[in-house]
Amino acid sequence: MYRRIHHELGGDPWFVAGAGIGLFLLLLVLLGPALAPHEPYNMSFIPLSPPSAGHWLGVNDGGMDIFSELLYGMRNTVAFGLVAGLVSLAIGVAVGLSAAWFGGVQDQLAMRLADILLAIPAVMILILIAALFRPSPSVLALTLSFMLWPTTAKGVRAQALVVKNGLHIHAARQMGASGAYIIVRHLLPELFPLYLIGFATKARMAMFMEASLAFLGLFDPSRKSLGIMISYALKYYYLDIWWNWLLPPVFLLSLLIMTVTFLAISLEKVFDPRLKEAM
Amino acid sequence: MRRSRIIKPLPAFVLAGLIMVYASYRLPRLLPGDFVSAMYASSPVTLTADQEAQIKAYYTRGEGFSRYFLNLFTLNWGYSYAFLTPISALILEALPWSLLLMGGAHVISMILGFIVGVEAAWRRGGYIERSGVGCMTVLEGIPEIGTGVILLLVFALYLGWFPASGAETAYAMFSPLGRAWDVAQHLALPLATLVLAYFPGNFLLTRGSMVMVLREQFVETARAKGLPPARVRYAHAARNALLPMVTRFGLRIAFMITGALVVETIYAYPGLGTLLFNAISMRDVPLIQGIVLISSLMVLFVNLVLEYVYGWIDPRVGHVP
Repeated sequence: MYRRIHHELGGDPWFVAGAGIGLFLLLLVLLGPALAPHEPYNMSFIPLSPPSAGHWLGVNDGGMDIFSELLYGMRNTVAFGLVAGLVSLAIGVAVGLSAAWFGGVQDQLAMRLADILLAIPAVMILILIAALFRPSPSVLALTLSFMLWPTTAKGVRAQALVVKNGLHIHAARQMGASGAYIIVRHLLPELFPLYLIGFATKARMAMFMEASLAFLGLFDPSRKSLGIMISYALKYYYLDIWWNWLLPPVFLLSLLIMTVTFLAISLEKVFDPRLKEAM
Repeated sequence: MRRSRIIKPLPAFVLAGLIMVYASYRLPRLLPGDFVSAMYASSPVTLTADQEAQIKAYYTRGEGFSRYFLNLFTLNWGYSYAFLTPISALILEALPWSLLLMGGAHVISMILGFIVGVEAAWRRGGYIERSGVGCMTVLEGIPEIGTGVILLLVFALYLGWFPASGAETAYAMFSPLGRAWDVAQHLALPLATLVLAYFPGNFLLTRGSMVMVLREQFVETARAKGLPPARVRYAHAARNALLPMVTRFGLRIAFMITGALVVETIYAYPGLGTLLFNAISMRDVPLIQGIVLISSLMVLFVNLVLEYVYGWIDPRVGHVP
């Protein structure tokens, strides 16, 4: 099964494009501090100077090197997305699996809670908390992941119910395997594709929200983020700063979200046989 | 059976609504100690001693939750300290613009996405269709900030075809028809941005489910009966392909709102998004709280309505235990 999937992913242009650009962006994220020519908080340069050899993308209104800001801002956006994606995935898998395995009251409670959370617009809760308490970005990422887990949990639960009634699970039970053993050795690995899809969609949503909330001014204004850069640059749109200040973060953010979208779409396509036929 | 379909989704939504109301009541009161001076210390708004006492009183007068809840219905949502206006007046003034923008974008992108998706599925495999799907997948990946900024730069600032900000020309004495034209011109760019953001998702979803529906036997039967192709497509197949779009709408709604907030801010469109942006930048806590609460309740309502629409489109849903 895994060889087939490997083969199909390799043949899907969207996956190849997503993975290729994704690796490049990941390198930028990991090597960011080494690549950045200046400290992103160093405010000693001449404000609003155009691109030059020392400052590839020029200097912003606060006297900071835009290229270095860009690298650090992308790190923050990506980190926010990864944390929110991973935590919401972990919660979703834990809740979904336990609901499917134990059933009964626990299942009912978990699914009703999921329904309620699905109805509440996550971004509104996030805005309220961010505006009132000024929490650190990591706290906001955790808050977001507590709002985003229901879809993953529902998907995992549905699939786990199918797997749970499979012949091999019955066989394992007959041979005296404990519930914990079956969950860890059979259920968890067999649902693996769902994790990838869930993680990609959640990470995408979280990055999008981080950039948007930063754009709206809900984060610490001195924190580096692609959204904040766009919002600052937009204030100076009447100057000749489009190409070096406004468009680079816009382009990078779009590329980032596009990459994750490609990965999510191609994963869904390959792992969901019904969808694959449609493509 | 019929009754259960009406009753079933209600508890989750009522609970969600109550949780939102309670959160907006409780969260500001969780702030430690003297938050008013902390909040306003670094803001451009300077408060007189009188105003400061007023805000403190607003949050500490210990009005019970029941009182707060009732005030919600009497439009008594508090007082904005940045705009020096009742919050209800500000929200009711901004709301029509937001509804015009978001409603318009959703209606256009849903109808367009549906029709183009159905037609694409019908003509599957052609060169144009495949490149169309490719373009839509790329567009689906570009966030509203990206499209918004680029459309603004190109069409408003560089070409100058459309106004860059606002919803209508201030103090212009237009005839009613002239005013409508003016509003439409201001609406064009933000609306285009949102349509570009929503359309690809609707298109891809409709196309995907339509392709699946077209394999069903009843489509074959309808064709074999000699019905005209357009009738087979829309009256028989497309109705079933409509479902995923409606379901996905509810799931994507938080995503869409975030985008709409950003788009309104980029074009300074005087809807709830821009009001929220101003409230945030002026640290106007009561106003933020009001906007968040009212818009969440509206989202809940839309989601609830969708739940019924879903049951109406697909009668099978009501029969699932």
